Amino acid sequence: MHIAALAKVVPDYEVPAGDFELAGNRAHSRYTRMIGLYDENAVETGIQLKEKYGAVLSIISYGSSADVPILRKAIAMGADDLSIVQGDSDDPFVIAANLKMAIEQMNDIDLVLAGQQSADLDRGVVHAILAEMLGCTFLAQISEIESGNGAWTVRQNHENGSRMLRLSGRAVFSITSSPQNVPRIPAVRAIMAAKKKPVGKLQGIETPPMQAGEVKVEIPKMESVCEFLSLDDLGQTAKTLLGKLREERYL
Amino acid sequence: MRVPYWNIGYGYAIDLLAFPVLVIFLSGLYNHYRKIRKGQERFKKSPDKEHSRPGPFFISSVLTKGILGTRIYRKFFTGLAHGLVFWGMATLSLGTLLVLADVVLKLPVFSGAFNRWFMSFGLDLAGISVLTGLIFFLVRRLFPPDRLVTPKERKGLFPMAGLLAVIIVTGFLTEAMRIKALGPDPASFIGNFVSGLLPAGVLSTTFHRYLWWLHGFLALGFVAYIPYSPMVHMVLAPVNIALADPRPGPKMGVIDFSFFDDEEEDPENSPALGVAKLGDFTRKRLLDFDTCLWCGRCHEVCPAAQTQQPLSPKKVVLTLAELLAANRFTDELPEVLGSDAIFSCTTCAACMEACPISINQPKTIMQIRQNLAMERSELPELMSKAYNSLEQRRHPFFGTGSGPKDWQKGLDVPVFERGKTEYLLWAGCVATYDERAQKIARAMVNILSHAGISYGVLSKPRCTGDPAKQMGNEFLFTEIARENIEEFSDLQIEKIITLCPHCYNSFTRHYPELGGRYEVIPHSVLISRLIASNLLPVSSDGSSFCYHDPCYLARRNHIEETPRQVLEAIGNLVEMPRSKRESFCCGGGGGNYWSEPSGVRINQVRAKEALDTGTDMIATSCPFCLLMLTDGVKKYTEDNKVFDIAELIDARLRSG
Ligand code: SF4
Ligand code: SF4
Repeated sequence: MHIAALAKVVPDYEVPAGDFELAGNRAHSRYTRMIGLYDENAVETGIQLKEKYGAVLSIISYGSSADVPILRKAIAMGADDLSIVQGDSDDPFVIAANLKMAIEQMNDIDLVLAGQQSADLDRGVVHAILAEMLGCTFLAQISEIESGNGAWTVRQNHENGSRMLRLSGRAVFSITSSPQNVPRIPAVRAIMAAKKKPVGKLQGIETPPMQAGEVKVEIPKMESVCEFLSLDDLGQTAKTLLGKLREERYL
Repeated sequence: MRVPYWNIGYGYAIDLLAFPVLVIFLSGLYNHYRKIRKGQERFKKSPDKEHSRPGPFFISSVLTKGILGTRIYRKFFTGLAHGLVFWGMATLSLGTLLVLADVVLKLPVFSGAFNRWFMSFGLDLAGISVLTGLIFFLVRRLFPPDRLVTPKERKGLFPMAGLLAVIIVTGFLTEAMRIKALGPDPASFIGNFVSGLLPAGVLSTTFHRYLWWLHGFLALGFVAYIPYSPMVHMVLAPVNIALADPRPGPKMGVIDFSFFDDEEEDPENSPALGVAKLGDFTRKRLLDFDTCLWCGRCHEVCPAAQTQQPLSPKKVVLTLAELLAANRFTDELPEVLGSDAIFSCTTCAACMEACPISINQPKTIMQIRQNLAMERSELPELMSKAYNSLEQRRHPFFGTGSGPKDWQKGLDVPVFERGKTEYLLWAGCVATYDERAQKIARAMVNILSHAGISYGVLSKPRCTGDPAKQMGNEFLFTEIARENIEEFSDLQIEKIITLCPHCYNSFTRHYPELGGRYEVIPHSVLISRLIASNLLPVSSDGSSFCYHDPCYLARRNHIEETPRQVLEAIGNLVEMPRSKRESFCCGGGGGNYWSEPSGVRINQVRAKEALDTGTDMIATSCPFCLLMLTDGVKKYTEDNKVFDIAELIDARLRSG
């Protein structure tokens, strides 16, 4: 069994809204870069499958070679190898095409895992496009995976519950976070060993982007307004508070 | 003149028997030594030092804590009883040796004033002292305080103390029989008294002979059995104290990770990080375990143990002592002790401070934690989130709503300039990323500007890495510390003002070992100096302040008085029952600021203790303590009563 987990390096996804700024329509370069939140869940899921079924886990990323030191965390967590397809496009179609190229070069990938959405653009489309390009089944929001009798049995999460699905053949799953796939913290010796592992670098391919161009990027300005209500008469204060909340349509 | 071995035929046989006894005694001690040798060498820093250095030996500690037993007297009656037994036994042993010297070397110890005042009066006094002390200990074992029996009571002390009491009593009876037969010895006040109690017509010479031999055999038996009983602490405790670094706090040091940098080496084969098994500890730690008295003084002061958390430092040490005694060097310690116990330690060092024989409990706990954190990556949930944030963002405040410069809003805070600025104002991660603690940094900026100090902050705030160290990840700490040291070198920083005692402790204790040496001053100390030099015009307004000593200032660095001087300049100081070096932790140390609250909460216990003084305000000089106590106080009052020293001074400067 050979599994590929897709990982994208993104700017810190926890930057407080009040501190967020753009530079050239993208997050300012001063923010720390890290592996996307759900991508780490995908990597963790891959490692668990590796441990359970003796699989080989490859990490594939599309981005710049400057991302390699950050991506090594996935190796330290337990993945076997890392390949980076070098490119700088934000276009989901271009990214998917490049990832497809890397997967096909590996030749024997049985399963592709990807975070349900990237932590920077939050689009959640690349994996679906990739599945289409690979011609295999795509299932979204997967939280648990089992393999047996030549088939995958998976749990798909919904807003109010989950359902179990079974399928066979090559597949792409988008992984959501669950208590079972909280990313592990790599052990120190694994971090050091990961630093010494060779990394596969693939040149990105040129491919036509989607027929949509970026016009403008905006982030909402954070504004906090504070109003103190008098506490002289608690009953009256409660009424005033209710009135204000209704006025602002919070209730 | 008294005759040695009066009424005893072949009395010297008891001296001859002392030789096999000595062999049994020494072979018992050798067994301890053999087990302790299974630990790691203490100094293995560089190959040239290997096998060559015995390690430091702290003579003044042996004299004070070891021989005089200064720490023992913190519990007055126990200390007194111990002193009576120890000094009494020392005197009696000397008396026995002098008898031997009389027989072998013809030293006239049984004549004149020396006989009267030492051999008769002195030895009687010593005997009664030992007996008094032993009665105290025996009675206390019958009605033991909680600390002696929780989580477990030590077996073997009662019989040995009982045996010693019998030896003393038989000694007095022998003396009384001799006096009965030969007439009163004017200075032997106990012997004379006991002899007076003996019935007339008793066959004193016969009984004297039997009792003399009984006394001698029991005494030899006692000596032979010392290394095989808890009494071995008489030998081990002074050695343990002598080898313990007397600087306050656990002295964690730093780990050399250069092994991993070697391209040739396989990281998978590197030595274990931290401690997983008994044999991973240094010999000094094993000596600690072997020496432990099971007295429970550490248990009694431990904030975790006292709030029903799963940790008791006494339990940790005695469990390891039992493994050592049973030669069990391969048990996995995190499983034996429980990782929840290991992570409950706040690293407050109260246990170390209380331990009469200089055992380093926090280091033991932290070394096992290091193994859990670095080898197994096992951290409690919240701590692991803080760790992840520290690793990725270089600060542990995950989910913070504050940007790195938010605390400076509305203030004109200068950035440190190489060659121009004198002090680096090190805000630290708490005062940067926590909204409540940001007020400390803001207050300090106002204070420094008011006093005309040349200071600046880093353009990009950083953390010292201390939380990583406390969570057990020495590797991440080293990485962050090295980054900081590099930046400080670029900026030619020499002087640092800290707002957080953890940062202070890191800069002064750990950074020098990594090559970063600075003049570091905690903000409370600087404020005190500025007030003393009339650079901060403040005066007392009659408010009362109860000062909570942060563990990392008071206990670990002995900074207790200067923060109090600051408060005395603006009001009246009130003290909690537990203060200064005996302060009770706020509960936030050891990464436990990021722990799930469970059971009785340490910060609430401490907040109550402070509020019970009837103080107007609770003052502290640590942002972690400030946050923990602010939260703790909420259980008892809606009022905001907890402030940092800098906030209190700043408010008075403004209103003045
Ligand atoms: S350092 Fe503090 S919390 Fe840790 S064991 Fe000692 S007393 Fe308890
Ligand atoms: S570690 Fe020290 S304080 Fe604790 S039980 Fe042992 S001797 Fe007593």
